[in-house]
This record gives sequence, structure tokens and C-alpha cells, in this order.
Amino acid sequence: MIGKISGLICVLSFVFGVINGNVGQMSEAIFEGASSAVTLTISLVGTLCLWNGIMQVATASGLIEKFSKIMAPLLKFLFPDAYRKKNGLGEIAVSISANIFGIGNAATPLAIKAMEKLQQNNVDKSVASDDMVMFTVLGTASLDLFPTTLIALRQTAGSENALAVVVPIWICSFITAVLGVILVKVFCMKKVL
Amino acid sequence: MSVISQMIVPFVLALAGMGMFFSKKDLFSEFTTGASYGLKTAVGLLPTLVALITAISMFNSSGASQALSNFLAPLGSKVGIPSEIIPLILVRPLSGGASTALIADIFEKYGADSFAGRCASVIAGSSDTLLYVISVYFGAVGVKKARKTPLIAFIAALFCVFVSVFLCRLLF
Repeated sequence: MIGKISGLICVLSFVFGVINGNVGQMSEAIFEGASSAVTLTISLVGTLCLWNGIMQVATASGLIEKFSKIMAPLLKFLFPDAYRKKNGLGEIAVSISANIFGIGNAATPLAIKAMEKLQQNNVDKSVASDDMVMFTVLGTASLDLFPTTLIALRQTAGSENALAVVVPIWICSFITAVLGVILVKVFCMKKVL
Repeated sequence: MSVISQMIVPFVLALAGMGMFFSKKDLFSEFTTGASYGLKTAVGLLPTLVALITAISMFNSSGASQALSNFLAPLGSKVGIPSEIIPLILVRPLSGGASTALIADIFEKYGADSFAGRCASVIAGSSDTLLYVISVYFGAVGVKKARKTPLIAFIAALFCVFVSVFLCRLLF
């Protein structure tokens, strides 16, 4: 489906680019896009290595297991397969915590780490497991407690109360995440509770 | 709050350092073993990112979002969504950089404390670049079929827009 979405984006862009007469700058943007994917990947290498290493240390010292025990009731409900197989719960817990506390550089590497664990549990490696669908849908809900970039933007724009939007953001994030969980439970998982 | 966020990473590293210093286990070799996987993951991720980011930058340069916004604006105003934030709603799931630019633009034109500015803030703060998240998560582990993930994520994001606008009407 991602392939189809990317394809659709390319076709739409081409059509609108021709209509708007933006073809020249579009062909430039295409090559810039391809190169910036490489730049992004390179900038990810460092954080990926660092967080993979830290996670390995935390696992070896038993910290991850303790952490996953604290969050076990919630994780059991959200990720029944990982809970049954006793594999990946700690990584999921750490990744979701990194999202909540807004540790920007850590979120992606830690999420990938958790996905790798879920892939170990997965029976058909080319198709997403129930747990993976749940984890990714939660990843698309912005759980960040403190939207730093946004607040900075509001302050720069001269907002009288830049923080006024924080509570509505929490409420909205929470409601959206709950809806996502319900949809995954109902439409992807065989057992709802 | 932001102080806590800033503290976490240095604290985690200090904790790991303490572990390496005091533990009888060879935790440093654990670190290097873990770290060595990072490069492999990044290399596996590159093809997905090239496809996605190229498509997105093609989209951003085409002017498609403005044209689609003009088309969707009357529809949006019927259900109570201010037309000023329609471009942001379209771009938010696709591109973080482009949405930041659009938010700055909305703040400049209408003000950060205007209704449009507040709606834009709440939408941006409570949703994510979901296409990037889905592509990266599944691309990194080589899953080809994402099943209903994109559909559910899009439905949740659309719902998020309505909740945001509703909350802004209710609270401000």
C-alpha cells in the first residue's frame, strides 16, 4: 500500500506540476529529494548505532526487563503476541516512552529496534503482524508531551500565550490514539480483549 | 517539562557509563555489538527513504497541495474546518518540513493566537508525518504488506483534525 500511495503522489504531482507550469523546478526537486534521503539516512546512522548499543547494554543489565514488567498490564492488552512470546515488550515500552518524552533523535531508532523484535515473533515475515500494526498506528499518533518545535514557532510568531495549545494537544493526541487502538483491535486483531 | 526532556538522554548515557564502570559483565562489548547493527539497519532503510522522500519533494514542488486545497476548501467550510488550514491538513501526513513551513506561514498571515493559528497548532501537535512513520517502521524490517495500517492511521489523522477544530472552538 505504501508503494501505491507513493505512486499516486508521483502521478498527482506530475499532473498538477504540468497544469501549474512547475515542471522545471519539479525535476530539480526530484534529485534534491533523492539526495536528501541519503543525507537523512547518514544522519540516522549515528543515532541508530548509539541507541542500538545503549539498548544492548540496558538489556544485558536487566533494566529493560524490569521496565517492561512495570508496563506489563497495558502492553498485554496492546501487544498480546509479544506478551505471549515474551519478546519485544521492553523495546516497545522504551520506544513509546521516548515518544512521550519527546526525545526526538531516539524515537526512530528505538521504534525500529522494537519493530525488529516484533519481526522475530512474526510468522509471515513479509506481512505485518497484529502487534506491528498496533505499534505503527501508535507511532503515527503524536504522543509527545511537549511539542518543542511548535511552541518555539508560536513564540517566534509573537503568541501571547504560546503554551495555551498544549492541553488541547494532549486531549486530541489521547483521543486519536484511543481511536487508533480501537480500530486496530476491531479490524486487525482476532481477539478484542 | 522541556528541561526533563533535555535531561533524559544525558542521564541515560551516564547510567550506561556507570554500568560499564561498576558491572562485572563486559557491558562495553555489549554496546559495540548492539551498535554494529545500526549501520545495517540504516542501509536497509535507504531504498524506502529514497522512494518516499523523492515522491514527497515532487509533490511539494508541484503546487498540488494549493490546487487540492482550493478544491477542498468549500467542502471543509461545510463541516466547520477553516479554509486557512486546509493546505496544512493535506501536507501534515506527508512531510514534516513542509508542514512546519505552512504553520509558520499561517502564524504570519493570521497570527498564532487566531482561530486558524490555534487550530493549526493543535493539529500539528497531535498528529505526525504518518506516511514517513509507516514507511520507516515497515521498511526497516522488510515487511511488504502493511495490511490496514495506512488506512487506520489516515482515519485516525482525519478524526484528529475534527477533534482539534472542535476543541479550539470549545476552549478558546
